[in-house]
Amino acid sequence: MKTLAIELRKEKRTGVIPVLLAVGILGAAYAFVNFIVRKDTLLSLPLAPMDVLLTQLYGMIMVLNLFGIVIATCMIYNMEFKGSAVKKMYMLPVSVPAMYLSKFLILTVMFLVAIMLQNLALAQIGMTDLPEVAFEMGTLVRFAGYSFLTSMPVLSFMLLISSRFGNMWVPLGIGVAGFLSGMALANSGLAFLLVHPFVIILKPAVAMSAQPDPTVSLVALAETLLFLAVGLWLAKYRRCE
Amino acid sequence: MDYIITTEQLTKKYKNFISVNKVSLHIRKGSIYGFLGPNGAGKSTTMKMLLGLTAPTKGSFTIDGKQFPGDRIAILKEIGSFIEAPSFYANLTGRENLDIIRRILGVPKADVEDALELVGLSEFGDRLAKKYSLGMKQRLGLAGALLGRPPILILDEPTNGLDPSGIHEIRNLVKSLPSLYDCTVLISSHMLSEIELIADDIGILNHGRLLFEGSMNDLRQYALQSGFAADNLEDVFLSMVEKDNMDRKQRAKL
Repeated sequence: MKTLAIELRKEKRTGVIPVLLAVGILGAAYAFVNFIVRKDTLLSLPLAPMDVLLTQLYGMIMVLNLFGIVIATCMIYNMEFKGSAVKKMYMLPVSVPAMYLSKFLILTVMFLVAIMLQNLALAQIGMTDLPEVAFEMGTLVRFAGYSFLTSMPVLSFMLLISSRFGNMWVPLGIGVAGFLSGMALANSGLAFLLVHPFVIILKPAVAMSAQPDPTVSLVALAETLLFLAVGLWLAKYRRCE
Repeated sequence: MDYIITTEQLTKKYKNFISVNKVSLHIRKGSIYGFLGPNGAGKSTTMKMLLGLTAPTKGSFTIDGKQFPGDRIAILKEIGSFIEAPSFYANLTGRENLDIIRRILGVPKADVEDALELVGLSEFGDRLAKKYSLGMKQRLGLAGALLGRPPILILDEPTNGLDPSGIHEIRNLVKSLPSLYDCTVLISSHMLSEIELIADDIGILNHGRLLFEGSMNDLRQYALQSGFAADNLEDVFLSMVEKDNMDRKQRAKL
């Protein structure tokens, strides 16, 4: 708890928290505007109203989320490398893996807030704009959880990458490359491509149904934990040579 | 003798380059130990090993009876350090930077003001650290090391980047520390003239090897025996380093 409180103090003026809040607000605004403008077109698609609401708007929201995660993870470690602050941390009686875990928790909680804002907007649209009795709160909550879970491998992976490179442009470049390669591979049915965290985050966006895919969910959970474990392990053994 | 830091044959090897070669230091409790050597002699690497920033290839060391890596947290709780360039959060003010360190060390809030006061940064405490001049960053780094008044201070060339009056001020501050709150100081420099004014004991390092260890009086004795004037220790230091360099060259030819 002490390390988490210290990490929160360090975030001052970094923009990490505002970036993820902005992602949530922009995603929610996009959903509202899109549904107002394209309501008739969207509802005339040959899909169930809940599938329309959740899958047809998610593409752009996912792109916002993805870039929000990439930028926030780059920023959260850039402040450690700028001014060599992380070097001082290694010389203080503080657990560096605990510092890493605190950063992971801050990003996860802020990203969860962003997802909640976006899904509150979807719930509002569902209750007011979908045909009567078509809105299902349970389906929305399940899809929100699914989209959160499938985004976590990218968050965990990008935090690991950001913690390893002092130059912020390297993780940023890896994030963009990951997005582009993920886009190219997301529609493939090959199961082994799920090892690519950017393919996983795109899965709900390319699906036509709002029903979560259990395989994708399991792989997402495993990758999140794996990248987190690697990040914690490397944080423990990294020294300033 | 009551030693607070001892190293035993401490060695650090990087591929085919030996940065620190079988160095055995003995630092007395409550003393100021000057660690002297030209650039690249291995002073910073030795200090980094003492702080657990890099692992020794061979040898061992004890700090207040504790050893790395098992006692890492306990050791770091006792040490205030400043290695090479100052390290700070550019997005935070000087005061906020010290507050982060204060929270990690678990010391009272008043210690931040105390540390700022000691290094003469009180009036600039609310300025963003990234907007500090080099000298102010150096002072902030020192304030971070002094925060909570730790029993051991490891300072690597702390006067780098300071103007002459700043050097004088910091030198006097370092000199006053053991009497001020009973701490031990290990301070490095490549200038004997600087170390001479503050240190009780001295260790001279060149190309990773410890050429001399003893009190300032021992060094003066050595100077007299070697035919140097006892008041010109700079020449002793330079000749010691030069002789070692010549020996190295001879060895390399063979």
